[in-house]
Amino acid sequence: MSSLAFVDLSVRYGRRDAIAGFTDTVRPGEWLCLIGPNGAGKSSILRATAGLVPHGGRIEVDGSPLSLRSSRRRAELVAYVPQSPNLPDDMTGAEYVLLGRNPYIGYFGVESQHDLAMVASVLDRLDLADFARRPLGTMSGGERQRLVIARAIAQEAPILLLDEPTSALDIGHQQQALELVDRLRREHGLTVVSAMHDLTLAGLYADRLALLHQGHVVATGPAASVLRPETLSEFYGVSVSVHHEDDGTVVVVPRRTSA
Amino acid sequence: MKQFRRVLALATVSLVALAACGDDAEETTATDPAATATTAAPAATEEPADATTAPAATEPAAPDEPVGDVAQAIVSLSPTATEILFAIGAGDQVIAVDDQSNYPAEAAAKASALSGYEPNVEAIAAYEPDLVLHDGTTDLATSLDTLGISDWVGAAALSFDDIYVQIEQLGAATGHVAEAAELVANMQADIADAVASVPALETPLAFYHELDPTFYSVTSNTFIGQVYGLFGLRNVADTAEGTSDYPQLSAEFLISQSPDLIFLADTKCCGETVETVAARPGWDAISAVANGGVVALDDDVASRWGPRVVELVQTIADSVNAVATVTAG
Amino acid sequence: MLADPLARTATTARSVAARPGRWWLPASLVLLAVALFLGVMVGPAGNWGSADWNIIWNVRLPRVVLAGIVGATLSLSGASYQGVFRNPLVDPYLLGVAAGAGLGATIVFAVGRASTTTWLIDPLPLAAFIGGLLAVLLTYLVGASFGANRNGVTLVLAGVAVTSLATAIQAFVLQRNTEVIREVYSWILGRLTLANWGDVRLVLPYVVVSSAVLLLHRRHLDVLRVGDDEAISLGTQVTRVRLVVVIAATMGTAAVVSVSGLIGFVGIVVPHAVRLLAGASYRRLLPLSLVVGAAFLILADIPGRVLQDPAETPIGVVTAFFGAPFFILVLRTRGRSLG
Repeated sequence: MSSLAFVDLSVRYGRRDAIAGFTDTVRPGEWLCLIGPNGAGKSSILRATAGLVPHGGRIEVDGSPLSLRSSRRRAELVAYVPQSPNLPDDMTGAEYVLLGRNPYIGYFGVESQHDLAMVASVLDRLDLADFARRPLGTMSGGERQRLVIARAIAQEAPILLLDEPTSALDIGHQQQALELVDRLRREHGLTVVSAMHDLTLAGLYADRLALLHQGHVVATGPAASVLRPETLSEFYGVSVSVHHEDDGTVVVVPRRTSA
Repeated sequence: MKQFRRVLALATVSLVALAACGDDAEETTATDPAATATTAAPAATEEPADATTAPAATEPAAPDEPVGDVAQAIVSLSPTATEILFAIGAGDQVIAVDDQSNYPAEAAAKASALSGYEPNVEAIAAYEPDLVLHDGTTDLATSLDTLGISDWVGAAALSFDDIYVQIEQLGAATGHVAEAAELVANMQADIADAVASVPALETPLAFYHELDPTFYSVTSNTFIGQVYGLFGLRNVADTAEGTSDYPQLSAEFLISQSPDLIFLADTKCCGETVETVAARPGWDAISAVANGGVVALDDDVASRWGPRVVELVQTIADSVNAVATVTAG
Repeated sequence: MLADPLARTATTARSVAARPGRWWLPASLVLLAVALFLGVMVGPAGNWGSADWNIIWNVRLPRVVLAGIVGATLSLSGASYQGVFRNPLVDPYLLGVAAGAGLGATIVFAVGRASTTTWLIDPLPLAAFIGGLLAVLLTYLVGASFGANRNGVTLVLAGVAVTSLATAIQAFVLQRNTEVIREVYSWILGRLTLANWGDVRLVLPYVVVSSAVLLLHRRHLDVLRVGDDEAISLGTQVTRVRLVVVIAATMGTAAVVSVSGLIGFVGIVVPHAVRLLAGASYRRLLPLSLVVGAAFLILADIPGRVLQDPAETPIGVVTAFFGAPFFILVLRTRGRSLG
């Protein structure tokens, strides 16, 4: 299990600061969920961690900065699931998951028996064995979501980043996907950072939430402390009522402002 | 560095825009493989008797208006017509010739930047000519007509008679009728002598006339093919008769035919010589190469239909005799 | 459905490890052998038995070999470009190689072959090669200055701009030297008519190096299929891979174009046909394109020699003849199946 620390992280696009002064430490095995309105900077934090955009400040895994590492080494530490993954229709399931082994295969090399065994085992555990030889074009939305997670698992990276993992899914698949991630993180000891829109689901699965607004953290902590009507109203501009279930689940319900 | 790159990029884009403005539609198809698939035929160059694109008339057109006076300010856009003019003594009446008119030396001295391929009517008119000579492959005649300038069309000859008629017409137009008649008579005599000097052979010698280093040749349907026909030679390119009068032959075919004579009409344009031909892989097996039957022609002499056609005939006669002796002996 | 999880894993593992279509490569090698056989057998000087060995060795065989080399290189380069730019309609001439090489050749023709035949090395292939490389370099400079490193689109547009520029300059040069128009056209349409062992020796080093580099990078092209961002997150250095592949493919293309002129359609048609039959994985596509491309051009050269016997039909015309309808067919099937 690994820790992920952000020290004074900043990301700029042109003259706009998407993120400024972000400092946070995600403990080993913790699930941190970033929430906040569009443009708050959630995706930018994930993309910076995945090495897709340049950033200021430091991002450290187990104390050593990611930027010092080669892209292959970084890929061994951080697995990134983007918001809209590209799934070429004519690629097979096994080929796709095999891409997750890319960091472990030499520049001029080919995959080893171990890599193939790894892919097979991941496909089995995520109940995708039937899709090993089938093209992605024949898979449903939910199956594809599982496949993308399978690829991330095949990467054997201790840090898992998920950018809006449930936005395109129906409620049933949303639950399936998040349950799967939760199960896997416990099995593999993963540290998870996700960005999500659905506040209730975020609170339900994450250990801790961080509310971002215009590039800054304005609240962080467990769901109950962050998901408060006045907080949400201030930063989302939304009118909600918050209910607390018996088992501690925090439910955010929008309220109609019109009569 | 980034700044420099932007400037360079901007300069490139501007150049492209400028170039695109000055682009002709036909030229832009030059390198697009897909487009050029349909334009496989070679463009007409200064070839005598291009039977596929020659104008319908078999005789050159007489001058537009009956020339009562003799033309004194002639502009010639046809190298062949230029040669004829100087051969009949009308050289002093020429004020300018096109950029390809390089014979005789006196003509070359009057060479201008005028082009026979892409004639610029205004530039021609600036010389204030009273007669313009051209080969009729452009629609210059219409433009000259509009400006009221007389022109004379000497199209690529399809036969020897065509040549004689053109010489006589130019003689009349320039007031050198006697010299023209004399020239024609001399040419006829010289040609007859040359033909007579070559004994008839039981098996005619085979020959290959090379237009360019990619083995373009001429069939007997062309005028130059007929010149060779005077000597009863067999043209290997005639096997390709159905396709074009200027077929591109393959190396395999040429080697297997093993012609006795090879005439190179690509010596000036493309630097082919007896040595370069002998050096081509596999060509040493050809009879002409082995027996000294490779003849380097002057490109111009081989492609024009003026007085120097006699030289061509003479060269062919000499070559045939030389090779006939070798193969007989 | 197997209940035992271990047995399940074993089945999946077998299914994962099995390379579907393992027989494609041997099949294509057989095709190549057939093509070579036919190519050497048939020709204007007669079939194998009757033709002179001098002709076969000095003229026909080098031509067949060269056709194979050119076809292989153009197909492999085309497939590689398609991988790097994630666009199956890309051809090896995309970044301006064709126009640059054409311009180089035109300049040599215009300066006059006559004045250059005494040079130690034939300037025609050299000028075409350099012209091709310079054009692509210019494309890269122009594209990079507009931020082409994020995706390939800007680079492609830069290639279009450079192609237009080179074509315009070429047209201008031709204007001033109309007597070489036929020679330039003949070169542009592609020609194997002058193929000899010297040409083969000339291009072989470039082609071998280029092909080796491209084949070694085929796994990376598969990773690129999920897009630049995801490929980076999976540990691939996308910019470097793209640069290396483009350089290698360009070098190979420029080398063959310099001896054989511009032969079109091969670089698109062959990879497409292979994709339709053997799937889109670059791991298979690259080697198959190489072999099938060689066979294709050898076979396409046969009608070039024989159709108008003894006259030649330019090979660019033959490939366009077969390529264009094939293209239309591909567009129809693609439109229907994958949308």
